[in-house]
Amino acid sequence: MSPRQLLATAASLGLMALFGLGVYAALGTLQTRTTTAVAPTQEQALVDLPGTIFVAQGGSLYSLHNLTFTKLNTPAGNWVQVAPAPNGDVIAVDKGSGYSNVYLLSASGQVLRTLLSESSASYFNNHFAYYPRVSPNGQSLFYAWNWIDPYANYNVDFEVLSVPLSNTSVSPTVWSLSNLYYQGGDVEPLPLANGGLIYVKYATGTTGNAGAVYSQLAYVTTPGAQPQFLTTPAQNCSEPALNPAGTEIAMICTNNQLQTSTLQVASWNGTTLGTPAVLSTGPMAAMPTWSPNGTSLVFMNVTQRSLPFQLYWIPKAASSKPGAAQQVTQNLSLTATSDPVWYP
Amino acid sequence: MAAGTKPRRRRAGLSTHRSSFSWGRHRTLLAFLVVLGFFVSGTSGVVAYFLPAVTTALHVTGHATTGKGGTHGRTGSGTVQTANPPPPGQPFTVLLLGSDNDTKFPPSGVLTQTMILVRVDPQTHHAVMFSIPRDLWVPIASGGSAKIDAAYAYGGARDAVQTVQNDFNVAVNYWAWIGLGGLVTLVNQLPGGGVDLISQMPILDVQYPYDLTGNNPYANQRIAILPGPQRLNGVNALTYVRSRHGDILEDIARSQKQQELLVAIKDAAKHLNLADIPRIASSLGNEVATSLTPGQIGSIASLAKDFSTDNVTQIVMVDQYPGQYYTSETVSSQAALVPNWSAINALVAQNFPA
Repeated sequence: MSPRQLLATAASLGLMALFGLGVYAALGTLQTRTTTAVAPTQEQALVDLPGTIFVAQGGSLYSLHNLTFTKLNTPAGNWVQVAPAPNGDVIAVDKGSGYSNVYLLSASGQVLRTLLSESSASYFNNHFAYYPRVSPNGQSLFYAWNWIDPYANYNVDFEVLSVPLSNTSVSPTVWSLSNLYYQGGDVEPLPLANGGLIYVKYATGTTGNAGAVYSQLAYVTTPGAQPQFLTTPAQNCSEPALNPAGTEIAMICTNNQLQTSTLQVASWNGTTLGTPAVLSTGPMAAMPTWSPNGTSLVFMNVTQRSLPFQLYWIPKAASSKPGAAQQVTQNLSLTATSDPVWYP
Repeated sequence: MAAGTKPRRRRAGLSTHRSSFSWGRHRTLLAFLVVLGFFVSGTSGVVAYFLPAVTTALHVTGHATTGKGGTHGRTGSGTVQTANPPPPGQPFTVLLLGSDNDTKFPPSGVLTQTMILVRVDPQTHHAVMFSIPRDLWVPIASGGSAKIDAAYAYGGARDAVQTVQNDFNVAVNYWAWIGLGGLVTLVNQLPGGGVDLISQMPILDVQYPYDLTGNNPYANQRIAILPGPQRLNGVNALTYVRSRHGDILEDIARSQKQQELLVAIKDAAKHLNLADIPRIASSLGNEVATSLTPGQIGSIASLAKDFSTDNVTQIVMVDQYPGQYYTSETVSSQAALVPNWSAINALVAQNFPA
């Protein structure tokens, strides 16, 4: 065999080997990606929304302004929820192992104050605190906190508490009694300008409806009062958001559909809700937040079931002819249990 | 020279003729060899890619129902007559089994915390899921009576399937078993590394097992899964379907959540393709076992793509009045659910017709 033939043979064998490797690699590229999300800082928003929107993803907090996301410079942690605070600051929840703490952060992520410290060396003195909300007058911090039955520590439910924002270490006011036992309890407080409170109560059906689990919007005017329910068990609504004018409530309802949630808006006159209109049929709408001027809404949703949550926007949400939902992000995996915070 | 030149020319002429003939044949052969080489090389690439899947498939699928196979559960002796595979296009029933196979139990003696009968009708694109409470006190195929979750511990899939067939009068065509780690891995390997689901209530549990990691299988941890739509990774999905202490309905609520997760997995699995199989198969290892063959799994997977979530009926036996389906009693010093067979069998017959 001449050197030329030898070279040709070697080259052919090499190409064959490369072809085999190429087939192997090509098959690998056909796999569905197990991680489809990118960090928000790697993506530009599809819609230029006015002001600044704060969201959570993967244990970090981000702000969206002029189409661009910026990661907040928080201390290391597992930042799972963000909420509005006075003076343009934000309140955020840092989830630890078996507890969660609540902090007041600057808009850039610097810790200004520890609001609620729920970790303890004693196992049963650890607590979860979620859904922090500051009252419209800026005086009180409302939140959901897990109560443990001292006589049956399997029995753990959320209840809604409040403390003065200026001194969060005082004994809290109990707004809702989690005396339903073993049913999840009360979450998502929405303090009102009139001093009352809307929150979400979870319950389990009884005779005739046993086994059904549902949530209702509950309204109380004083701490510990018997709630007036604003929605029915069949509507199965949660995650209320009041517009800045205090006249419309956006909420998430399943209407007993299997694993489907819709975004609905109903008028609010201070005591009752009007008939809700469906603004988005989901399939997994979550956590609506009104724009600062109250004309539009952002919320979480998925383009199709099984894909990560993205931010969506509905223009003219408060009008009689709301616009169609527009996708704001496309490759993120936003934390759908944290409402976005929208500042002017 | 001249005399010598002529033959050389002749030889040369002959040689040229032969060379031309030989070169043509040689070129054909060479081309064939090159094509064959690329074919063999490409095939080797395909084989190497799917080898983990084939290996796992041989190990975990196509198990006869004489035993569960794998490393968990007892194989037992004797055979169980599962219903024959139905003709293509006809409804079939799968018994899904899930075990808390942590180190609290010997691998050969794990219970089934989850037993879900799934009936799939390929023609109507309708599926029914029926959860069997783990504490149901029933006659066990291997003899005597016990909580139904013990059937698997006594005799692997053989006894679990036989017990369900005998007690519920339903024909089980196939079974599939998954362990704790298998569920976590499966969800993590789905597109996007998780599932979307709507948690129907806040899940709080201060005594949730801390047994997937750590050295003490009896240790507890505090968990919280918030209500509402959200994305869950494998660990959180397991937490969602395993936690029970903080729920008034305990195991019944857990059954509901397990069915919700199955629907979410079905939705996510729609986006998988053939190239995903080796990765998923090699990661699941001994954490799954099934009587389904790889071909049958493929057929079911493609069927799932056409199933709308709205076409899935979820059935969890919840008493609407005391004793409707069962009564809570202490039997043989165990807290058990004593079945009301007439009501249960009517429910099963209605949703799992022969």
